[in-house]
Amino acid sequence: MNENLFASFIAPTILGLPAAVLIILFPPLLIPTSKYLINNRLTTTQQWLIKLTSKQMMTMHNTKGRTWSLMLVSLIIFIATTNLLGLLPHSFTPTTQLSMNLAMAIPLWAGTVIMGFRSKIKNALAHFLPQGTPTPLIPMLVIIETISLLIQPMALAVRLTANITAGHLLMHLIGSATLAMSTINLPSTLIIFTILILLTILEIAVALIQAYVFTLLVSLYLHDNT
Amino acid sequence: MLSRVVLSAAATAAPSLKNAAFLGPGVLQATRTFHTGQPHLVPVPPLPEYGGKVRYGLIPEEFFQFLYPKTGPYVLGTGLILYALSKEIYVISAETFTALSVLGVMVYGIKKYGPFVADFADKLNEQKLAQLEEAKQASIQHIQNAIDTEKSQQALVQKRHYLFDVQRNNIAMALEVTYRERLYRVYKEVKNRLDYHISVQNMMRRKEQEHMINWVEKHVVQSISTQQEKETIAKCIADLKLLAKKAQAQPVM
Repeated sequence: MNENLFASFIAPTILGLPAAVLIILFPPLLIPTSKYLINNRLTTTQQWLIKLTSKQMMTMHNTKGRTWSLMLVSLIIFIATTNLLGLLPHSFTPTTQLSMNLAMAIPLWAGTVIMGFRSKIKNALAHFLPQGTPTPLIPMLVIIETISLLIQPMALAVRLTANITAGHLLMHLIGSATLAMSTINLPSTLIIFTILILLTILEIAVALIQAYVFTLLVSLYLHDNT
Repeated sequence: MLSRVVLSAAATAAPSLKNAAFLGPGVLQATRTFHTGQPHLVPVPPLPEYGGKVRYGLIPEEFFQFLYPKTGPYVLGTGLILYALSKEIYVISAETFTALSVLGVMVYGIKKYGPFVADFADKLNEQKLAQLEEAKQASIQHIQNAIDTEKSQQALVQKRHYLFDVQRNNIAMALEVTYRERLYRVYKEVKNRLDYHISVQNMMRRKEQEHMINWVEKHVVQSISTQQEKETIAKCIADLKLLAKKAQAQPVM
């Protein structure tokens, strides 16, 4: 049972070759591009959604920050689609792998920090000390702020991994609970099945929210550093 | 790209060819032929307006039509599912219930909000088309207005002679008025002069009359002797006394 529980998180291989690459490359197939003004409904709704999110996200940046808009919009679309696709049965979610999330978080965060240090070094260093701290606390606070800065990419990656993995695990566990109870006591099965449905709705929300949170935080770090 | 590599390799091998290597890519592009075949997809064929029909959102209608002569598709589907379940090709596991709940939520969402999203997408497209249509209509309207203005201007040009007639009449009237004014002034001046002469004549006559009267009076007064004067005055006094008595008698009554 333990082996089965985490079986869905093993990176899938086909005859020893990683299929995870194919799985990561699959979501863009669901987002059609079109060179026409009037498209089918799918393309129209997707274009409208992307326009909405990009406008919402990029209004708070200045011109230099808006050069990141392609990166951030593609980030949120990628994380949202992979999370949502992972809810389908017997599917693999790449964002459950810490390796992938670290690979996403560390370069983006490092990019913002390096950009900040290159352009406005005084502003970037000023982030290490909040305003209005009493003088004796300054050395300790600088150390704490440095640690909190260095922990940002770890937090980004681990937050996404933990949320999605925990959601999948919960769904699996409650599913197996319904399976077990279905032979023992049918009404409680129905109750547990209701819980499962509610959890599914939660998972859909979590999938979208996590994407949003990831991208929002990266954009926040960007805003600090431009 | 490989040809460029070949060219650069040739340049390093034979240094005398190095100058020729600059011409290499240009020569290559000149020798490559473009637009030789028949132009296909001209004009670009239009996209179909609606997608193919599907049943249950997954299985295209053609599949059902293909199977109908041979076997019932629903029977085939049920048979396959039961076969997979009974032979444990598909194992009912925890994943099954997860799948059921996920698919159930998805189907519920699509059934409930599907038409809404479809209408929304249609509305977005219609808005785009309406914008373009409005631009086209505005342009047509603008040009129509210009045409109408031009036509009315042309019509006005036909009626220009009224304006000229009116102006001509005005000028004629003004000339007439000026003429009459001057005529009147002339009349007044002439009358003035004639009145002057008349008054001069009248004055002369009056003066002559007065002079004559004075001369006559003077001579008459001179001709009255003193004896006659005294007699006349005494008679006048007697007459006056008589009259006075008569007058006094009247009011007492």
